[in-house]
Amino acid sequence: MCGRAALLSAGIGLSGCLERASEGVNQSVNTTSGAPKAGGKFIEGASGADAETLNWILVADATSLGYIGLTLDGLIAYDNNFNTVLRWMKKDIEVSQDGLAYTVTLRDDLEWSDGKPVTSEDFVYTMKNLMFADWMAYSYAGDWKEDVEGKSVFVEPKVDNETTFTIHRKTVNPEFLYTVTDLNVYPKHIASRYEGDVKGFTQAPELNDLSYTGNLGPYRYKEWIRNDKIVMERNPDYYGGRVNGEPYFDEYTIKIFGTSEARHAAMEAGDISSTAIEPEQVKKFKEMPSVQVFTVPTSQYQMMQYNMRDNGWEGLRNKNVRQALSMAISKEKIIQQVRLGFGEPAYSFIPKTSPWYDETGLLKLGAGALYDKNKAKERLVEAGYGARKNNEIQVINKNGSQIKLKLVTNTGSNVAESTAFLVKQELADIGIEVDIKLVPWETELRKYYINKVPGSDQEPRNNNGARAVSEESWDLILAGHFVDLLQPSGSEIFFTSDGGLNIYGYSNPQVDALFKKARSKDAMDKNVRKEVYAELSKLVSEDQPLDFFTFPTANIAFKKGVLGIEPGINMNYNYQEWYFG
Amino acid sequence: MDKPLYEQYFNYISSLLHGDWGWSFGTSMPVMELIKTHWVYSFQLVLLSSIFAIVLGISLGIFTAVKKNSRADHIAAFFSFAGISIPHFWLGIMLILIFSVRLGWFKTYYDTSLPMLSLENLYALTLPVLTLGTGMVAGYSRYVRSAMLENMGKDFVRTARAKGLPESTVIGKHVFRNAMLPVITIIMLDMSGIVFGGAYITEVIFGIPGLGWMSLKAVFADDYSVVMAVTLIGAFLTLLFNLLADIAYTCLDPRIRYE
Repeated sequence: MCGRAALLSAGIGLSGCLERASEGVNQSVNTTSGAPKAGGKFIEGASGADAETLNWILVADATSLGYIGLTLDGLIAYDNNFNTVLRWMKKDIEVSQDGLAYTVTLRDDLEWSDGKPVTSEDFVYTMKNLMFADWMAYSYAGDWKEDVEGKSVFVEPKVDNETTFTIHRKTVNPEFLYTVTDLNVYPKHIASRYEGDVKGFTQAPELNDLSYTGNLGPYRYKEWIRNDKIVMERNPDYYGGRVNGEPYFDEYTIKIFGTSEARHAAMEAGDISSTAIEPEQVKKFKEMPSVQVFTVPTSQYQMMQYNMRDNGWEGLRNKNVRQALSMAISKEKIIQQVRLGFGEPAYSFIPKTSPWYDETGLLKLGAGALYDKNKAKERLVEAGYGARKNNEIQVINKNGSQIKLKLVTNTGSNVAESTAFLVKQELADIGIEVDIKLVPWETELRKYYINKVPGSDQEPRNNNGARAVSEESWDLILAGHFVDLLQPSGSEIFFTSDGGLNIYGYSNPQVDALFKKARSKDAMDKNVRKEVYAELSKLVSEDQPLDFFTFPTANIAFKKGVLGIEPGINMNYNYQEWYFG
Repeated sequence: MDKPLYEQYFNYISSLLHGDWGWSFGTSMPVMELIKTHWVYSFQLVLLSSIFAIVLGISLGIFTAVKKNSRADHIAAFFSFAGISIPHFWLGIMLILIFSVRLGWFKTYYDTSLPMLSLENLYALTLPVLTLGTGMVAGYSRYVRSAMLENMGKDFVRTARAKGLPESTVIGKHVFRNAMLPVITIIMLDMSGIVFGGAYITEVIFGIPGLGWMSLKAVFADDYSVVMAVTLIGAFLTLLFNLLADIAYTCLDPRIRYE
C-alpha cells in the first residue's frame, strides 16, 4: 500500500493508490458474522502514472511505494486512531531516557525468500551501507542526519543481537521515532553483491522483481505489465497470517487506467473491486446498489505553488504580491464548485487531521474577510503592480504591460482542470491573465519541478539552490502535498531553504530555524513543540510560498461484497483482513 | 558520457546490434524486455483492425462504386464521413458505456491475462478493433470507391466489356486490380504509422499496454532509451511496409518490374 508516512508531492486527482488517513474517527466496521472466507481476486483501479521502480530505496513516487508495500509490511502501521499496530516488530520501539537511543526488536519468524532469517544485521547493513552511502544518494537520507558541532552527520545504527538493533543519536530529535518506524530493509546477502555499483543496484533483477521478500508481506510479486497492472498473489507463508490465515484474497491487482472515465466505467460494470471516485461521480455511485462509497479525510492538502525562482514572474518574489493573489482566490468556491463540498479550506501545511494542527494566528487568505478582490488589487498597487485611474485600479506590471502568468497542472484529473479554470477566472477579475498549461504528471516532474543552475554541471534535482531554475518557466503550479500527520517537521523538505522538494525557491531563515527546533531537545516538551508548530504555521501562512487551497476528503468506492474494511483514518492499514463476503 | 560523441554513438550502435537497447529508467527494465513484452499488444490490435478495415472498407468501396449515386451509395457515404469524423476517444467511451456498462457483453478494459491465441482474446478485442477500425473502414471505402470509379471509365474496361466478359470479371479482375494500386500505398502507410502512434488513443481508453501508449509516456518522461528504440523501430517499419507496398505493386500490375 502507499507509504506509511511518505512526504510526497503529487499531481491533483491522480489515484495511484487508494487514499489513506483520516481524522481519527472510528466508523462502523463492515463485516459479517462468521469467519472471513478466503479466495477471490481483488482489483484496485488507479489512474495516472504507473510506478517507476520496485527497488524501494530509489522510489520517489507514491505509486511505487504502494506496489512495494503489498510485499513489505514495514515495522509498524497506524490504525484509524493513530494507534501503533506492530508488524515486523516484536514490541514497540524503546527510546532511552535521554532520547538518544532507539532500540528495535524484530519478530524472530521473519524470513527472506531463500529461507534465511531476517536479522538486525540486514537492517543495520541497509542503513549504513545503502541509505547512508554517498554512491546511493538516497532521497530521504537527510532524515537520518543530525547536526553535531556544526557538522551534518548520520546517526549510528548498531547490531545488539540477532533480532535487536539500536540507533544511536548524539542530539535529541523528538520526532525521530517516526523516521525509524518508516525503516525498510534489503537482504544483506543479496544487496551486498551490488554495493558501490549504482547501475548494478538499479538494474538488479532480484531487487526489481521483489523476489527476495519472503514472508515479509501479505502478498508476493507475480507479474508487472507496465502501464497495465501489477499482480500480487497471496503469500501463504505470511508471518501475519499464521493464526487466521490472512490475507484472504488469492490475488491483489492494481490496474492502471488511462482515463478516469474508463476507471469509473469499470467500477460501474463491476469489473474492478475498488477505486477512488471523482467528486462529480459520488452521488451516482452512492445510489448504485452494488457499490459502497466511503468518504474519508486524507493526509494531504491541495495548493498552488508560487515560483519565486528566477524563471518565474518577478512579482512572486514579493510576499505582499503572493498574499494579494491568494486573497483573490476563493477557497469556498474551490470546495463547492470544484470539489462539490468534499473538502475543507486549508490555511496551513499541517492538515486538520493532525494532532498538531493549530489555527491560532493563521492568515486565512481567500476566505471570509480576506477573500476580497478590491483589497487584493490595492495590495498589488502598494507593491508597485498597478495604477489608480479615476478611482479604478488597474493591475499591471511595473513597465505598464499586462500581467500574464503561466499556470501548470497535470492532465488526467477533472479536479485539477476545473481548479485551474477557476483560478484563471478569479485572477482575471483583478486584471491578471492566466495561461493554463496542462501536462502529463511525468512531464510536470521533469520539465517544471527538477532544476539546476543554468550552465552548471549540477545533477538536476527538485531543489538545487536559490539560483537553480527548471527547464520550462512557470509561475503557478497546482499540486498536492502528502504530509505525515504525526510528524509535521517532515515538511521541512517543502519549506526550508535547502528542502529537497522546495521547488519554488522559498527561503525564510526563521522558518529554517523553527523546523530545526521542532527536531531539537527543546521540543521534547510537547507544549513547546505545539508552540513551534503554531509559529511555523503562522509564518508560512504569512509568507504564502503557496496558496493552501483545501484539505480534500476522498471518496473510495468498493464493491458491496468486499468486507472487513474499516473506513476512516488509514483505512488500508488492515487491507490483509479484507475479504469477499 | 566522458567519451567523444562519435565513440558514444559507435558504442550505442554496437550495443544495439548485440541486443542491448539500454535501460528504461521510467519503467525500471531493459528496453529490449519492454519492447518484447508490449509490441504484441499493439501488433494484435493493429493487425485485427487492419483486417477488419481492409475487408469491410474494400467491399464497401467496390459496392458503392458499382452502385454509384444510388440510395445505398448515399447511405454508405454518410456513414463513411461519420466514421472519419468521429474521434476515437468518443467512440471508444460510447462503446464501453453501451456494450460493457449497460449490456455487460464485454469487459470495460482489455484483460492482458487472456491467452493471446484464444477466442476469448479475440472477443475481448472486439470493441478496441471497432474503435480503431471504424475510421479506417470509412477511409478505405472512400479511397477504393474513387479509385474504382476512375478506372471504370477507362478504355481497357470498355474493351473488356466489348469482349463480352461478364460484369463480375470486369469489376473484379480488371477494375479492382488497377484500383488497388493507390489503395495499397495508403494501407501500408497506415499500418506502419499506426503501430507507434495511431493506436495510442484506443490503447489508453481500453487499457491496452501497447507500444503507442508506452512510447508516448516515454516521451513525456524523457525516457530517452525507450524513445530512441521506438523511433528506430518506427523507421524500420516504415521502410518495411514501403517495401511490402512495392512488392504488392508487382503482383497487382505485371507491367511493374524491379530489376
